Amino acid sequence: MKNKILNIKNLSKTYGAFKVTDEITIDLHFDEIHALIGPNGAGKSTLIKQIVGSVKHDIGSIILDQEDITDLTDVERAKIGISRTFQVSSIIPQFSAIDNIVLSLLDKSNKTFQLLKSIRNNKELYSNAKKILKEIELLEKRDISASDLSHGDRRKLEVGLALAMDPKVFLFDEPMAGLDENGTNMMINLFKKIKSNSPILLIEHDMDAVFALADRVSVINYGKIVATGSVDEIRRNELVRDVYLGYEI
Amino acid sequence: MIIEKIFNKWILFFLFTIPVLGFVFEEPYYITLTTKVVILGIAGIGLNLALGYCGLISFGHAAFFGLGGYVTGILSFHALNSELIFSWPFVTSGSSDMLVIWPIVILSSAFLALIIGLLSLRTTGVYFIMITLAFAQMLYFFAISWPNYGGEDGLSIYMRNSLPMVNTMDPLSFYFICLFWLLIVIFISAMLINSSFGMAFQAIKQNEERVKSVGIETFKVKLLVFVISGTITGLAGSLYTDLNRFISPSVLNWQMSGEIMIFVILGGIARLYGPLVGAAFFIVLEQTLGSYTENWQFWLGLILILEILYVRTGILSLFEKKLKYEK
Repeated sequence: MKNKILNIKNLSKTYGAFKVTDEITIDLHFDEIHALIGPNGAGKSTLIKQIVGSVKHDIGSIILDQEDITDLTDVERAKIGISRTFQVSSIIPQFSAIDNIVLSLLDKSNKTFQLLKSIRNNKELYSNAKKILKEIELLEKRDISASDLSHGDRRKLEVGLALAMDPKVFLFDEPMAGLDENGTNMMINLFKKIKSNSPILLIEHDMDAVFALADRVSVINYGKIVATGSVDEIRRNELVRDVYLGYEI
Repeated sequence: MIIEKIFNKWILFFLFTIPVLGFVFEEPYYITLTTKVVILGIAGIGLNLALGYCGLISFGHAAFFGLGGYVTGILSFHALNSELIFSWPFVTSGSSDMLVIWPIVILSSAFLALIIGLLSLRTTGVYFIMITLAFAQMLYFFAISWPNYGGEDGLSIYMRNSLPMVNTMDPLSFYFICLFWLLIVIFISAMLINSSFGMAFQAIKQNEERVKSVGIETFKVKLLVFVISGTITGLAGSLYTDLNRFISPSVLNWQMSGEIMIFVILGGIARLYGPLVGAAFFIVLEQTLGSYTENWQFWLGLILILEILYVRTGILSLFEKKLKYEK
């Protein structure tokens, strides 16, 4: 049996009378991509926000690599190895692509509070940032201001920011939204490559990408996990077809 | 950017030449005016670090400016009267030595900024503005109601504080002391802005949630920026007291916070030399329009409105455009 790196138990969040996430139990194994699918408003992004700590949960627990991180802040969780992308691109708009990546490398290299040394002279940081930009095929656009990048390039840059942190787990929230075919293929290949180092919890609406990537799939509806299984099991599941996939797939 | 750098060098050239010309032509008034520009420029550069580069809209920097001024005034007042400031728990006497006063001003301003920052940085937006304003107003009313140091009438110190081997009463010598501090402050600010710490606080201004998500403790970063910012403004307050040989609660008032903010906005937010240019423009307006009408601030308001509507990024950007066009 595979070990679990991320184990979420009974995580719930209620806004007034509305249960956004309802006693969600889900886990992430080493070396795997676990896709989380479901209709819009099902609670997928709220679950990601609860895992990273930007939304406080009401009940439940989160264990990362056998450490209870339930009471840690969002910054503490990022520091110990949870790296995310946002549903809507969240980058530093006035920074160049490479500076965005360098920012993401700062904490890991203990450089955040280096006050009087020019960051531009730090060849190691910029060299590492270039390697990451090469992986996400943005090396040639490294000096372009992030706000001037196309939508697809911003999605890639988001993934680059997550990669730079060299985390224990990745939480990717619709990383392929708006990407063209080449961009999607690049992401699929990249995710397959990186999952052995850091497993991925993936929210994605592109079912072709999900089925090409996922080792396991969980389906969420009205804040509840309604099914978990392999790609084939999920494809055949009648309930999942009813609530999300339909009968075309 | 290169053109702005050339312009910045011209600013430094004027800062060296105007007071020297004032000395040569025996017009000490111009030396004093330029000294005031330099001191207020330092205060503005301090605020610009927090406001311009980190997005912390502090409406309470008068607290640091006034504290620096009062610490200087009180130390000097006790030194001149040969009275102790405290006799318990330890004996503390005054000092009129700038080399003693400056470290005390720096430490006390940093401490005040730490306290205000710890409490106010838990809030954002309009709440942060109101909390910083409230702290400055508390100090203002405290100073008004403190009769030992002149209360509402303020405190005169008669003699400018001393510096070994320098005649600080000579306007040109005192000017170069202030210019020395300005250059130090510009140098430190430039180093900070270009450091990895600077990268972090400039990113916070643009997208704090993203900065948190890459594991950077944004609260600590903002707190340190706020402390450095307050310390620089406090130092400016110290020099301002020495310039005028007088300190009054008016420098703690919200109006002073507003003026420092105006220097930053006029000259150019998040531009290193912006507050200096803003302070110079402010003083020139005060002197020229002020000779025609007492209500010269009306015209200042009009200029601010026009600038915000049509220039936005300050006077420096206006010059940058002209230079680009000429080229």
